[in-house]
Amino acid sequence: MTFAISTQGLARRYGDAMALYPLTLEIEEGEVFGFLGHNGAGKTTTIRMLTTLLAPSAGTARVAGHDLATDPMAVRASIGYLPENVRLYDNFTTVENLLFFARLSRLNAPEAAVDKALTFLKIEDLANRRVGTFSKGMRQRVGLAQAILHRPKVLFLDEPTSGLDPMGVRMLRDIIGDLNAAGMTIFMNTHLLSEVAKSCSSIGVLSHGRLVFHDSMEAVTARYGDESSLEELYMSVAPDEAAA
Amino acid sequence: MPDFSPILTIAARDAREALRDRFLLIATLALAAAAITSLATGSLALHTDVATYMAAKDTLIALGKSASAIASPEFWPLKLLRGTVEQLEIMGAVIALVAGYRAAVSERGRQTLALILTRPLRRWQVLAAKLLGGFFLAATAAGAVTIAAAILLELTSGVGLMLSDLGRLTVGWAAAVLYLSGIYTVGFALSLWLRSASAGLVYAFALWMLMVLVAPQIGDTMDPDNQVAGGVFAALSVPKAEQDRIKAGFATYETIRNDIEISSPTKHFERFTFAVLGIKDTYTGKPLGPILTEKSGDALFLILFAFGLGAIVLLVPINPDRLTKEN
Repeated sequence: MTFAISTQGLARRYGDAMALYPLTLEIEEGEVFGFLGHNGAGKTTTIRMLTTLLAPSAGTARVAGHDLATDPMAVRASIGYLPENVRLYDNFTTVENLLFFARLSRLNAPEAAVDKALTFLKIEDLANRRVGTFSKGMRQRVGLAQAILHRPKVLFLDEPTSGLDPMGVRMLRDIIGDLNAAGMTIFMNTHLLSEVAKSCSSIGVLSHGRLVFHDSMEAVTARYGDESSLEELYMSVAPDEAAA
Repeated sequence: MPDFSPILTIAARDAREALRDRFLLIATLALAAAAITSLATGSLALHTDVATYMAAKDTLIALGKSASAIASPEFWPLKLLRGTVEQLEIMGAVIALVAGYRAAVSERGRQTLALILTRPLRRWQVLAAKLLGGFFLAATAAGAVTIAAAILLELTSGVGLMLSDLGRLTVGWAAAVLYLSGIYTVGFALSLWLRSASAGLVYAFALWMLMVLVAPQIGDTMDPDNQVAGGVFAALSVPKAEQDRIKAGFATYETIRNDIEISSPTKHFERFTFAVLGIKDTYTGKPLGPILTEKSGDALFLILFAFGLGAIVLLVPINPDRLTKEN
């Protein structure tokens, strides 16, 4: 079995505070993994370590087959990342923004890659407009375009539906499905249970920096009934957050 | 062999963004306007002197006399650049400082730095690109001011610029690029290193005051020869030998005064450009070669200021996690 992401005791400490307790996790290639948890649970810390932005305090991890500590450049070449609330360069058009990131990704034909991403995300009409004038949903799609320009093996999305209207959420869900169908492994931080139920093939639940649940959606459905009972699962594994 | 393509990509993007930045555009135009205004008044005065001399010469010739009956005055148009250099020293430094701050803050907090740092490039390449962007910006702004000043001198002073004058202007421009790049690096580095970018800007302004205003001013104020117009020794008609004897008694004081003055990169920039452009009387009309030799210390200081600070920025590790968090 090939894992797109595997961690062994990956942990992060800030001073005396433990942001992420040793995390051991394996995510298969081609999965859409939903990482659930309350605010401050450690989801973003995990994503920041897996995208090489933050050094772990302990443990090891491999992303797309490359070790985070020994080969961070190869990890970066294999991943796409969409942070929460990405703003991009306001004074630049969509194409200018995307060309910049395509060149940084060392693509041989950056213009073609940008055209392809614009078409894939159906945002050709935004191509020559300045990003500073865009709504949250438009920015999110341009942000996603920069993340998939280089066809990464693993795509990290941090709260991708945050601040989107229902139409935007649905559109993003469809895009995630299409990307996954094209063979991309997706690691998605979210706190929206409904999105996890509709988009993900496996889930993990993080509570106060500890992984308290990890299984496939299939197993969750078999164990807890239909997808709508995901809330019950969350309440049972992280009762204090649910009560809060 | 280091890979420079991401450095050039980021630097080119920074330069393009700076050119679209209204604040930087307005500030640079204001600098050019201030420099040109001070130059224009001096240039028109020189034009009048030239016209007066030419009229006198024509009158002599019309009277059938030799033009050599009146001594031919020497006109030094580059001397008029004193105000322009001073504007670059103070106002140019503020613009460079703010540009450095904006280069750091524009990436911090809006997540674009996170997008860059998760691309296959090394941290030092990102920093080198930012510094290179500042260097381009300094070269462009100082170049615009220098070209505008040269055109104005040529058109209004009545004295044509010679090839050697253009060479001096080029050397002065290079010194301005080093000086402004160094100041840009100070603004960039502090805004990057400190926990809050705005705190970095405050510290950078405090440093600017020390470097650009306080240290040179203290040095000037402590100079006894600056207390009376034309110099205290000249006003009291003190003979040279006596001057030297008096100065010898104040050697320690003079060392301290000079040390305070030369701790400021602004003073080195001023001493160097005033000499090269012949603004200071001692150097007016002297050939460029010996001036460059004499002022090599100031030139070296400016080179170390710009490139030394740049090297420190490249060597100090950055904290990607902190820098990519939302403000």
